[in-house]
Amino acid sequence: MKLSTGDRWDLIDKISKETVTFGAYKHTLKDAIGELTVKPMTGIPVAIAIMYGFWSVFGSFAGFFTDGFFVRLFDAYWLPWLQEIFPGQGGWLYAIMVDAGGIESGEFVLSSNCLESFGVLTSGLFVAVGVVLPAIIIFYLMLALLEDIGYMPRLAVLLDTVLHRVGLHGYAIVPTVLSLGCNVPGVAATRILETKKQRFIMMTLLAIFIPCGAQIGIMQDLMPNLMGWILLYLIIGYFIFGYILNKIVPGKAPEFLIDVPPYRRPLLSNIGKKVGGRVRGFFVVAIPFVLLGCAIVGVLYQLGVIQFLGDALAPVFVGWFGVPKETAGPLIAAFLRKDLAVAQLDAISDLMTPYQMITAVVLVSIYFPCVATFAMMLKEGWKELLGALAVLTVVVFAYGGLIHLIGILLGVA
Amino acid sequence: MKKKLSDMDYNEKGAVTEIESDLRKRVAGMGIRVGKTLRMVTKQPIKGPVDVVVEGAETSLGLDMAEKIVVEVTK
Amino acid sequence: MKILLMGHPNVGKSVFFNRLTGANVTESNYPGTTVDYTKGWMKIEGEDVEIVDVPGTFSLNPKDRAEEVAVAMLHENKDAKVISVIDASKIERGLYLAMEIIEEGYPLVIALNMRDVAEDKNIVIDAGRLERILGIPVVSTVAIAGEGIKELIYRIKDAKPVNVADIIANAANASNTESAADAGGAA
Repeated sequence: MKLSTGDRWDLIDKISKETVTFGAYKHTLKDAIGELTVKPMTGIPVAIAIMYGFWSVFGSFAGFFTDGFFVRLFDAYWLPWLQEIFPGQGGWLYAIMVDAGGIESGEFVLSSNCLESFGVLTSGLFVAVGVVLPAIIIFYLMLALLEDIGYMPRLAVLLDTVLHRVGLHGYAIVPTVLSLGCNVPGVAATRILETKKQRFIMMTLLAIFIPCGAQIGIMQDLMPNLMGWILLYLIIGYFIFGYILNKIVPGKAPEFLIDVPPYRRPLLSNIGKKVGGRVRGFFVVAIPFVLLGCAIVGVLYQLGVIQFLGDALAPVFVGWFGVPKETAGPLIAAFLRKDLAVAQLDAISDLMTPYQMITAVVLVSIYFPCVATFAMMLKEGWKELLGALAVLTVVVFAYGGLIHLIGILLGVA
Repeated sequence: MKKKLSDMDYNEKGAVTEIESDLRKRVAGMGIRVGKTLRMVTKQPIKGPVDVVVEGAETSLGLDMAEKIVVEVTK
Repeated sequence: MKILLMGHPNVGKSVFFNRLTGANVTESNYPGTTVDYTKGWMKIEGEDVEIVDVPGTFSLNPKDRAEEVAVAMLHENKDAKVISVIDASKIERGLYLAMEIIEEGYPLVIALNMRDVAEDKNIVIDAGRLERILGIPVVSTVAIAGEGIKELIYRIKDAKPVNVADIIANAANASNTESAADAGGAA
């Protein structure tokens, strides 16, 4: 026998009256903090402070390990050692695995650091281990803390007003923040949204506009003064295209209805398990793709494919996006790893103005989700994936052109 | 005095007297039902969601939903 | 035998799961979705029992993808027993979900978890009386401290489907005897 909602509640109220006694409840400090962090007058400043704290810790921790330790390790010991012992200097295998080097006044010279060498075992390993690993660990550690304390639902409540305008609701902040670590679990977290429409919008926005921890880590390391602009362009894009998608994608965008659990003291073992699992998950996916990406780009360079593509696509790159044709290589690498692509863009930074660099990095971010994200989106269905790719194509050209136009209007392009 | 949940003031308490029928099932899982006492904790500006406490549990619900719930406010 | 662990998010389902199962735990995606769930094995009186940690849900009327999966998992395991994990400090809305599952005919055991939290809030639950009214095992637990887990395992065998009409009758009876007792002794 099934009861109606009303009858079921009547029965439960009756049972509760017989079996439960509710004593006087006194408010605790925890309740007070809970309410202060969700009321807009106090909650919004707290949220800003938390985000700022998150960001500062992220930057200084990642910087400390990358610049203070890994850069020295890789540039002073690992690179020279490999350049020395790897056989066949100047040959194609050497170029792909260790160092593509450069030609200076007609002579072959070796690179002086792991970002310029473009080798699988040098640039590839350095990006994966030296730059991305510290960034990912600190990111997931802080996120796990915020999650386990119970802060995320409160952030969701505070942001609901804004996110509701783009067809999502406050809880969309969870996949969004998770994607800042890695888009793969971010896409998986779209399950907390209610309708197909919401999940499609969310997934598409994540894949296009949210740079992953690997990319943020390397931007933080290589171009800290441009990163703010890059992120600003991405955030603006997230809202512009979210707004447009909400208008054109059919379906419902219901309002949000969430439980706001009390704050808890996080369990260290739980945080350890969560961070360990996510970092492992990330690296199982990332390391092979970074190394493979390095190898493929290396091979394509050796075969002259990248120069050819650069020349062929030059009108698009130069005319529409306003970036030099040499960005073709990094953009191809970005199919496999965006962190690698940013590192390669940095290596050719002499060829670009800062604004061109901003444009190029924004393009790297938006133009294609990395292969792992792509595979994850396919799990939700190929129709969704094709739809997302169609949106992506439009966004790359529209937004890339718009950024160029803004540059022209500002006189900085 | 009867008020829509969306019109309640901070910290006002009251018993739910009416929930629009299409919404009853949706909010049932969160413990919100006719006859139950709730307290309005806060609401977000610019048509943001409304936070209520029912049976010691805090729930945040969109403004459109809050407009479909009527509460007999006691204090 | 298969046992589904069901309950709201944040009621300590996963803690139960970890306490009940051993090392042989697998995490997988529910087919066609990105929603993941874990399952593992335990031995009850010599029998191998599969335990599934179903994604948290507030009701059987799903409001997001994870809840859809929870409901689907319940429905495709018609012969499973269910451990309904309830946050004792929010027992009413916990019972709402438990009742929905009972109404669908599943044999159920209720774990009134976080009893300590409820006590801090001055909420006292008469588990024995609740058990008599519902006609199914009700065990008070503090999963995080391991309290009540053994009893819960021991009581799983007592889970059986109950008729809602019986619960309604029991509830009415209980309130009659209560008022008789009140007339005699309450102050």
